[in-house]
Amino acid sequence: MPFYRCLIPEGSLSYDQRERVAVAFTDVHCGNSTAPRSFVQVAFLNTDGSGEVRDSHGQGVMRYSTPFFIAGGNRAGRGEAVKGRIHDGLIERFCEIAEVPRDQVSCQISEAPASWTMEAGRILPEPGEEAEWVGHGASGG
Amino acid sequence: MFVQEGCVPENLRPGIAAAVEGICLDVLGAGEVSIEWTVVAKGYGFRGGRPSTTSLVRGRIPDGCERGTRARFLMGIADAWRRITGAAEDEVIVSARDWSWAG
Repeated sequence: MPFYRCLIPEGSLSYDQRERVAVAFTDVHCGNSTAPRSFVQVAFLNTDGSGEVRDSHGQGVMRYSTPFFIAGGNRAGRGEAVKGRIHDGLIERFCEIAEVPRDQVSCQISEAPASWTMEAGRILPEPGEEAEWVGHGASGG
Repeated sequence: MFVQEGCVPENLRPGIAAAVEGICLDVLGAGEVSIEWTVVAKGYGFRGGRPSTTSLVRGRIPDGCERGTRARFLMGIADAWRRITGAAEDEVIVSARDWSWAG
């Protein structure tokens, strides 16, 4: 966590743009939270024209009507202001790097308790409690 | 299952699926499992802004799972994944939401 899936039209972003978006999303997420950078997963997937994408946990769908869609999954427990800054920051940076107008991008972020995810053999910490968790040795590949 | 291209060969996937089914049955008592694979193309997956080799196993389990049971379930899958694929401990992230969770 977090896991940000960017649904994009095939061939619309170069590798350089995808890499810059991934770095920017990491900056946005970690700049508005205490999550370590290794937590931030970003995947770019091609849109299939259906206007919907399955929830990453396999149940239900997220619907969108824009050419580009950011489907996020985060740990629950952050305040509305923080969540809003992350949401808006992702869209802003995506538009800037992909060079697309704001009305071409939408974003939806679902949340679930941290204790429902295991990384590096340990249950994830609650938001704000990452320092001790990281101190025990998780990194990222 | 979200896997990075080239990290989990196709011939290993049936074994992974069988292991997941076994863990579901052993830990949760649930025998019916549906698994889908999404391969993130090379150059399309990142972690911390760098190319990723991390797999994400994400699923739904019956509501009301007690914390310790869920932890055993997650650990069982992570261990099986590493045993079968040879992935490092921090190269697999396992997540299980309640079936009815709409967060």
